[in-house]
Amino acid sequence: MPRLPTPKLPAALQGPPPRPGEENGNVAPADAAKEAGITVVDWVDERTSLSGAARWLMFRKIPKGTNWYYTLGSATLFAFLSQAVTGVFLAMYYRPDAGGGAYESIRHITDQVFLGQFVRGMHLWGASVMVVLVFLHMARTFLFGAYKYPRELNWVIGVVLLILTLVMALTGYLLPFDQRAYWATVVANNITATGPLIGPYLGDFLRAGPEFGATTLSRFYSIHMLVVPGLIAALIGAHLYLVTKLGTTAPPWQKVETRPELNEAEV
Amino acid sequence: MSDKRAQHKSKYTLDRGIPGAFEGETITRRRLMTGTANAAGAVAVAAFALPALGFALGPIFETQPHSWQDIGPVDAFNPNNYVPVVVTITPGVSEIGKTTAYVRQKNPAIDTDRPDRDTPYIAISTRCAHVGCPVRWVDAAERFVCPCHGGVYDLLGRRVSGPPVRPLDRFPTRVRAGRVQLYTARFSVNSQLRRFSPRDPGEPLDGIGQYLYPSRPSARKP
Amino acid sequence: MNRREKEQYLRDYGILKAKGKPFFPYAVTKDGAMACVVLAVIITMSLVLGAGQGPKPNPTTTSYVPRPDWYFFFLFELLRVVKPDSLTQLATIGIPTLGMIALFLLPFYDRSPERRPEHRPIAMVTFVVVVGAMALLTYQGAHAGDPTTISLPTPQRIVKAGGATLAEYEAGKAVVAQSGCLACHKIGENGNGGPGPNLTRVATRLPAGAIARTLVNPTAPMPSFRNLPPNKFKAAVAFLNQLK
Repeated sequence: MPRLPTPKLPAALQGPPPRPGEENGNVAPADAAKEAGITVVDWVDERTSLSGAARWLMFRKIPKGTNWYYTLGSATLFAFLSQAVTGVFLAMYYRPDAGGGAYESIRHITDQVFLGQFVRGMHLWGASVMVVLVFLHMARTFLFGAYKYPRELNWVIGVVLLILTLVMALTGYLLPFDQRAYWATVVANNITATGPLIGPYLGDFLRAGPEFGATTLSRFYSIHMLVVPGLIAALIGAHLYLVTKLGTTAPPWQKVETRPELNEAEV
Repeated sequence: MSDKRAQHKSKYTLDRGIPGAFEGETITRRRLMTGTANAAGAVAVAAFALPALGFALGPIFETQPHSWQDIGPVDAFNPNNYVPVVVTITPGVSEIGKTTAYVRQKNPAIDTDRPDRDTPYIAISTRCAHVGCPVRWVDAAERFVCPCHGGVYDLLGRRVSGPPVRPLDRFPTRVRAGRVQLYTARFSVNSQLRRFSPRDPGEPLDGIGQYLYPSRPSARKP
Repeated sequence: MNRREKEQYLRDYGILKAKGKPFFPYAVTKDGAMACVVLAVIITMSLVLGAGQGPKPNPTTTSYVPRPDWYFFFLFELLRVVKPDSLTQLATIGIPTLGMIALFLLPFYDRSPERRPEHRPIAMVTFVVVVGAMALLTYQGAHAGDPTTISLPTPQRIVKAGGATLAEYEAGKAVVAQSGCLACHKIGENGNGGPGPNLTRVATRLPAGAIARTLVNPTAPMPSFRNLPPNKFKAAVAFLNQLK
């Protein structure tokens, strides 16, 4: 018995036509999540216009010939981030008390805290790695002539960052407060004080008095974990801004193939 | 042309043809507001920066308290050799505030320097005058020897060799009721053993040195 | 660099950049791989070398030998090699400050447009000299022995002789180490290189009698060691006589 064809539903009762990827009208969960993600990103971008900055930062072109030597800068940045993170966790257990609390708290971190020795070791050896990377990065910049026009200012910022890194290394090794730390700090402080005219006052400022006293350690702690890291983070921001704005250099021996008709004509 | 320039140079805004100018007005409203904004910003920054700076710099201007400390009976020391004594020079920080001094009785044959004539005992600080490492008295060689950068001093604490820029610092001493007492504030000496207010290590006191490395409010001559 | 050279550089750089690849993902991949290597090195060092802690700080010590961490060995050794007291400030504050100023101002006094290392002889020679000097100072700083011990290995002939010879050698070594000789003389890696001569091979220059005479009647500024107890004096002479 032949069946009668089903009459079509009126347009008002029909749902929207299926979109590609959602057969039978069911949305796949992955697609739904993707859709939601795009919606959120769009929402943020509509209010901040950050996508332009992200594109400027991430999809800029790097010149032809860029090689592995160009990873030294980002490796230094990564070492700094590692130091920042491990440092934050060490600060949770450390007590800057010259009366014996500092030494005991380091002993506590090393011997009793779960993964304490591991995190302290990462911070300790991370410092050495960061110093090495800073010097390698600087050597690369020097050898490739990357400090020349138009990147002079970025070199100057880099030198300040080198000094600050060495200040971090120095102030950092007072904090374990053992014999080596104590005497290294005394010596470093006295070296600072040998600067003519202002040296003696600078020495007093760092020690908080004429002798190593009750607040010398907390002064170094404050410099080590607040003052200098803040400066380093700010200057890294400036350094990266200039790198992105000016572009990374090409290796100096990279051949430039210009079309001859573009060459400056001799007049 | 010259007429126009004269007009432009006038201090009255009315003469300069600025719209909305008043009779007798010499400064535009915009300039006044710019100046006020800058001044307000400077005051706001100074309001937190100056107290914070003063707070951090305070210790430079504070004088440390010092006292006389008993270091033993008069017959514990002899004129020809040093005896180490431990004294507390910074109170309130337990072990960290201590230091070692080498003490001997005054020997009129060698301690001929004028200020030393009134001092019954010679107390030499173990802080090397180069950059502050702990020196050690080596009896056999009659020398103070620094373990760091090669500083060597003689019996009077004067430099024999190495990089130290002045003799070892000293502490004032006195005798009270048969006991030797040591004042916990060092004083520095130059190569003629003339006395100066305490300087940090590495700061010479001969010639121009005493002016390049001035005395500090935090450590005055005892 | 004059204006034409600046424009030339910017144009060349623009061409190289136009032919380059986007930072993400090409450079980011390399950076990420390098970051993994850095982290692996840090973690390995932490696991293998650990984090020790020395003895408690003791400002009253007269026997501790302060030494910095390895990355400051070059500054430490700089303080050791600059001996005249009139130049002390040069080593403590002068050279480091001048070095930093020279680094700061580098782009302002090196203004040539040339970037290829093989065409910048002055820059490259300076680089090699500075890095070489820092490496040498670091090496020497790492091997700077303290002036109260002698780390010279006992020679095979003494060990073979054994008995009284060996005992006297070791006793003499202890006396020499504790008597402040190393304040002015160098023996092996220990001690200071002046004002006294290097004693590492003193016995090849002086016979035993001369060594003993010098110890009793030295030339200034060396102090006399005639007040040493006779057995210690004898051991010291025996030890010095074996330094060849």
